[in-house]
Amino acid sequence: MNELLVTCTGLTKRYGNKPALSGVNLELGRGRIVGLLGPNGSGKTTLIKILCGLLQPTDGAVTIDGQPVGPYTKSIVSYLPDRMYFADWMKATDLFDLFADFYADFDRAKAMSMCASLGVTPSDRLKTMSKGTKEKVQLVLVMARKAQAYLLDEPIAGVDPAARDFILNTILTNYNEEGTVMISTHLISDIEKVLDEAIFLKDGQVVLHNGVDSIREQEGKSVDALFREVFRARNYEGGNF
Amino acid sequence: MFGKLLKYDFRSMLKQFAFIWPAALVLAVVNRFTLSGLDSTSATGETVAAIAMFVFVSIMIAMFVIAVIFTVQRFYKGLLGDEGYLMHTLPVRPWALIASKLVCAVVLTVISIVIAIVSILVIVSPVVDIREIFHVLRWFWEALRGNTNVINAFLVILEFLLLLLVGMAQSYLMLYLAMAIGHLFNKNRAAMSVAAYIGIHVVVSMLLSSINNIFGDMLGDFLSDLFWGKSGYPVWQSLHMSLWFSILFVGIGGAVYFFLTEYILRRRLNLE
Repeated sequence: MNELLVTCTGLTKRYGNKPALSGVNLELGRGRIVGLLGPNGSGKTTLIKILCGLLQPTDGAVTIDGQPVGPYTKSIVSYLPDRMYFADWMKATDLFDLFADFYADFDRAKAMSMCASLGVTPSDRLKTMSKGTKEKVQLVLVMARKAQAYLLDEPIAGVDPAARDFILNTILTNYNEEGTVMISTHLISDIEKVLDEAIFLKDGQVVLHNGVDSIREQEGKSVDALFREVFRARNYEGGNF
Repeated sequence: MFGKLLKYDFRSMLKQFAFIWPAALVLAVVNRFTLSGLDSTSATGETVAAIAMFVFVSIMIAMFVIAVIFTVQRFYKGLLGDEGYLMHTLPVRPWALIASKLVCAVVLTVISIVIAIVSILVIVSPVVDIREIFHVLRWFWEALRGNTNVINAFLVILEFLLLLLVGMAQSYLMLYLAMAIGHLFNKNRAAMSVAAYIGIHVVVSMLLSSINNIFGDMLGDFLSDLFWGKSGYPVWQSLHMSLWFSILFVGIGGAVYFFLTEYILRRRLNLE
């Protein structure tokens, strides 16, 4: 087992001429809850998709548990995408079968008990479920794995504040504690209290990567306040009004 | 892992065709009886027969249209659309994802063809003596066997069927490659896939015709030696040679499409 869970060196991704990530260098350890923070379009989703193998970087390299992205890394990464990714004709139990078949770390009993506590009937067809319920099913799939890395893309973006706490709570009570959870979001105040580390992503570059406690000590303010400061400055810099 | 992928692809195929396959067979049986109603001069009998026939033909056409749409959709939506987020994060290699879709598409087409043949036999059974059809098959078999031994005749039939399967796989792989190329664009992916499909056709035919222009004579001699032998092979041997050559030729085309698609999914994956 490699001590560093995730490393990115000089990671660059361009869509045509438009850069989404420019020379990102990043190291993440194990057993951490990390916030990947930045406004819309700062490259959060792109970074996560590269770590999952859904996008190929234009330049630079990524390793997860010392390995380049491939079947091995996919077997230890649990990914929550920012969209629904399953066929409608399935039932939640069909998806549990699929996950149990492909991921050795999937705990079916845990998935069933999570469904019970989230109020999801796993034998229902996904087609008949509400959007919120489908999101819960997806969360169950992702968190019922004993993965080494959980990459959660905007898990709380589309829901009301009460549901946010509920989702965060589900994540915190179910993740593998030897694994690392990375949560991308622009809603910092909601998740600040659970984070160990924060990464600020701005225009495809890491502008800050530090422990949340160190940020509070060094800057004398909360991560949320620092975030507002860092990303507000951008408008003045631009100056093209 | 490949077997597990197949399991899920077959499952989704069965969901899609669980209705249309039995429907085709049931309608064939209905037609068998309504068609014999044609003998009686009653007008209602004729109308019913006409409607039943119309529905049957529609179902037959629908079955093959759906088979092609299904093949395209399972690849486009399943690997390049939102479902791709799930499939490409499974711990499997891209070749297995493509191969599983392909095997499923080929099996689906074969089953549809078998159902179409059985349905037609059921319909014509009151008019045509089914034994006649077996007579024709038997005559064909005897003719084939007359020139050689049983094993050779049997092999020739197998080779012919293999050629059909490889040809089918090749046309599906061409569709896959076109969609994989289309998905590289950030906009208008469906239109780009169609353009890529036409483009592949153009490139392949240009390639073949320029090979023919440059090496035509040489190739002609080479192939006729290969198929017929310098001093003349027995007929069955020529058949073997030309069938295997065709299988190889079509198969290489399919392999090229497969590896290009695999390369795109492995190195250039670009999900929205």
